[in-house]
Amino acid sequence: MSNARAVRSLQRKVSVRLALAMAAFIAGVFAIMRGVITPAFEELELTGAHADLVRAEQSIQAEMLNLQRVSLDWSSWDDMYEYAVERNPEFVSSNLDRSTLINLGLDMLAIHPADGEPAWQELMVGGEQQPFESLQLLRPENPVAEILTQHASPETGRVGIVDTGYGPMIVSSQPILRNDDSGPVAGALIMAQFLDDARLDSLRERTEVDMGWQLVEDFTPSGDLGIGELPVQISDEFVTNCLVMADMLGNPYLLLSSNTPRDVTWLGQQAVGAAVIFLAAAGVLLMIVLWWFMKGTIIKPIEELTAHMDKVRKSGDLTDKLDFHSDDEIGLLAARYDALNSEVHETRAALLHQSFKAGKADTAAEVLHNIRNAMTPLINGLDRIGKAFRVTEGLHVKKAVDELLSPERDPRKTDKFGEYIEASFGRIATVHDEAIEDLNVVTAQAKQVEGILADQEKFTSVVPIAENLVIDEVIEEAVHVIPKESDTEVEVDVDESLAKFRVCAHRVGLLQVLGNLMLNAHESIQRAGRGSGTIALSASETVFDDADMVQLTVSDNGTGFEEDVRNKIFQRGFTSKAQGETTGLGLHWCANAVASMGGRIFADSQGEGHGAEFHVLLPAAQGG
Amino acid sequence: MCAQHHDQNIRVLIADDDEHVLEAYREAFSDTESTQEMRALDALAAELFESDDIAENEPHFDVVACSQGDDAISLAKKATDEGNPFDVVILDVRMPPGIDGVEAGRQIRKIDGDVEIVFVTGYSDVPLEELHRRVPPPMKLHYFNKPLSFEKLAEDVASMVRSN
Repeated sequence: MSNARAVRSLQRKVSVRLALAMAAFIAGVFAIMRGVITPAFEELELTGAHADLVRAEQSIQAEMLNLQRVSLDWSSWDDMYEYAVERNPEFVSSNLDRSTLINLGLDMLAIHPADGEPAWQELMVGGEQQPFESLQLLRPENPVAEILTQHASPETGRVGIVDTGYGPMIVSSQPILRNDDSGPVAGALIMAQFLDDARLDSLRERTEVDMGWQLVEDFTPSGDLGIGELPVQISDEFVTNCLVMADMLGNPYLLLSSNTPRDVTWLGQQAVGAAVIFLAAAGVLLMIVLWWFMKGTIIKPIEELTAHMDKVRKSGDLTDKLDFHSDDEIGLLAARYDALNSEVHETRAALLHQSFKAGKADTAAEVLHNIRNAMTPLINGLDRIGKAFRVTEGLHVKKAVDELLSPERDPRKTDKFGEYIEASFGRIATVHDEAIEDLNVVTAQAKQVEGILADQEKFTSVVPIAENLVIDEVIEEAVHVIPKESDTEVEVDVDESLAKFRVCAHRVGLLQVLGNLMLNAHESIQRAGRGSGTIALSASETVFDDADMVQLTVSDNGTGFEEDVRNKIFQRGFTSKAQGETTGLGLHWCANAVASMGGRIFADSQGEGHGAEFHVLLPAAQGG
Repeated sequence: MCAQHHDQNIRVLIADDDEHVLEAYREAFSDTESTQEMRALDALAAELFESDDIAENEPHFDVVACSQGDDAISLAKKATDEGNPFDVVILDVRMPPGIDGVEAGRQIRKIDGDVEIVFVTGYSDVPLEELHRRVPPPMKLHYFNKPLSFEKLAEDVASMVRSN
C-alpha cells in the first residue's frame, strides 16, 4: 500500500469534465443561436426590408393618385370645358398662369382641345419656366403623346410614369368633361410632376425609407429586366430591395429601390453575443459553485476518510473512529467504515485469543503426549528398581545357611542347600545388573523429559504478537474474572483517563495478567474480612530505560503485605494464600508475562491491613 | 520394525511409536532369562522349604510388537488368516507419521470381532464416546493413560482374557 496521493485526483477529473461539459453547452448554445436565432433575425430583417420597398412603391402610387385626383377636379369642370371648346381668354387670365402650377405642385400643365392644337401648356423645370417644346413628352413621334392627348370617351383617363427629356415624370391625363362628367370629350387635361431629387427627398421623409430610383436603361443597358421585384441584395450594411416599374406603355422603365440598414441583424448578433457571453459567465460561475460544492461535500470528506484510513493502517488501531457526521452517502460510507473496523477489531481480537488458546492447547497436548510417553518406561524402570531392592525378601538364604550349619541337617540336602545359596547370590547379582540397566533407562528417560521441557522452553520464548491496545477495553474484559456471587462486595473503580492510554502488548497475555491481579485483589479484600472493598485501576505516562511507558496501577484495600514479602512476592512458588486456596496463574507467571512484553511489574504496600498496589509498566503504543 | 517372541497362552499385539515404551512392554510381558532364573530358584525353594511355586500362577504372553498402525493391522490380519488370532491388541493413539491408533483399532475390529482392544496413550483429543462409536463394542474396548505400570497392565490383560 502507498500513501501517495491519487495519480489523477477526483477534483481534477471532475473539474475537467465540468469544463468540457460547460464548453459543450456553450458551443451548443452558440450553434443554436447562430443556426436558429440569427436566421430568425435575418428573416425579420428581410421582411422589414421588403415592407420598406412596398412603402416606397406605395408612396409613388400615392403621388400618382393625388395627381389623378387633382387632374380630375380640373378636367370635370364646365369652365375648363368651355375653354377647351371656345378658348376664351378670360379663363386663361383667371385660372392659368405660373402660380397655378406652383400652387398645385405641378411641373407641367397642358390643355389639348379635341379639335386641334394645344390651347395652353406650361413647363417648369427646377422652378424655372422652360420652353414646352423642350419636353419630348407630347411630340408627335412619342408613342405616349397620343395616349395622353387623345380621349375617345370619358373613361379613358390615364395616370402613369413616362420618360421625358428631363427625367421620369408621373403624368395624369384626363378627358375634359362638364361638371357632371358628361361629354362629349372636349379635350385632354394633362398634369405632370417630375420624379426629381426634391420629390425623392420628400418621399423619403414621408415614408422614412431610404428609397431611390434610376432608369432601367441606366441600370442595365440591355434592358432585359422583367417588371416586378428583383432578387434581394444583401451587403454588410444594407438589405437592398428593387422593383422594376413599368411606364405608361407597359415597358420596364423605372427601377425603384429601398435600402434597409441591417440594424435587426446587428441587434440580433449583439443579442446572441450577449447571450453567449452571459451563458459562458453563468457556466463558469456554475462550475465554480459546483467545484466548491463538490470539494466541500465530496472531495474533502473523501480526503479525510483516506487520511483516516492511512492513520489506522499506520497505527493498527482499529478502535480509532472517524466520527464523520454527515447524512449523505459519504457520511454513510464513513459510518460503515467505522462499523467495519469495529467488527474487524473484534474479530481480530477473538481470532488472536482463539489462535493463542488453540496454539496453547496443541502445544500442551503434544507436551503431555511426549512426557507421558517418556514417563512410562521411567515409571516401569523405577518399579523394577524398587523390586530389585526387595529381591532378598523372596530368598531364604539365611534359612539355607542355618540348615547347612545345623547338626541335624539332612545330608541328602546339603548339596541342594549349597546350590540354593549359590543360586540366590546369582539371583541377587542378576537383579543388581538389571537394576543398573533399569537405572540407565530411568536416567535416559529423565533426560528425555528434560529435553522435551527444553524444547518447550524454546517455544515459550517465541514472543506472542503484540498489538496496540486501549487499556480500558482490556480491563473491561478482565473485570469478568471477579466472581459475581461472593460474600464480599467489591467495587471496581476504573479511572476514565484509562481510555486515552494505548500500550503495545499481547492482548491475551495482558488480559490474563490483569485478570490475575484483579482476582488476587478480590481475594485479598475477602481475606481482610471487612465485607466490602474497592479495586481501583488507574494509569499514567512515564519513562523507563529511556522508553515511553504506560504505568498501570491495580490497587486494593485488602490485606496488603509487609516489607519482607515485597521482595519475594514474585518468586516462583510464593503465595500468601492459605494452603489449597491458590488459584490463577500466579504472580510469578505474571512477572514473566509482563517481562516478555517488554514491561516490568512491581508491588507496594504500607503493610498488613493497608491494602496493596501492583504497578504494571508496558511500552506505550507508537503512532496511535 | 517388528519383533516376535514365541511362547504360549496369551497372544498380545502391541503398537507404539516410542521404542523405549516398546522395550518397557517387552520387559513386562515377555519371559526373560531373569524370570526363568527366578522360576528355577522358586522351584528349588519350594523343594527345600515346601513353599508355593509362584511361577505356576503367572500368566504367559506371546508378544508381537510394532511401531505403526498400518503394521498392526497387517499383523492382526495375518494372525487371523492363519487361525491364530491375537487375544489382545494394545495400541498407542498417536503414532505419527502413519494412521492413528483409533483408526488402526477400527480396522482391526473389522478383521477380528472378538479381540480385546486396549488404547494406551499419553494424550488423546478423541473423546471416549467417539472411541466407543468407532471401535465397538464397549465391553471389548479398554482405555489407559500413560504413564502406567506395565506389570499392572499385564495383570489386567491377563484378567481380560481369563474373564472370557
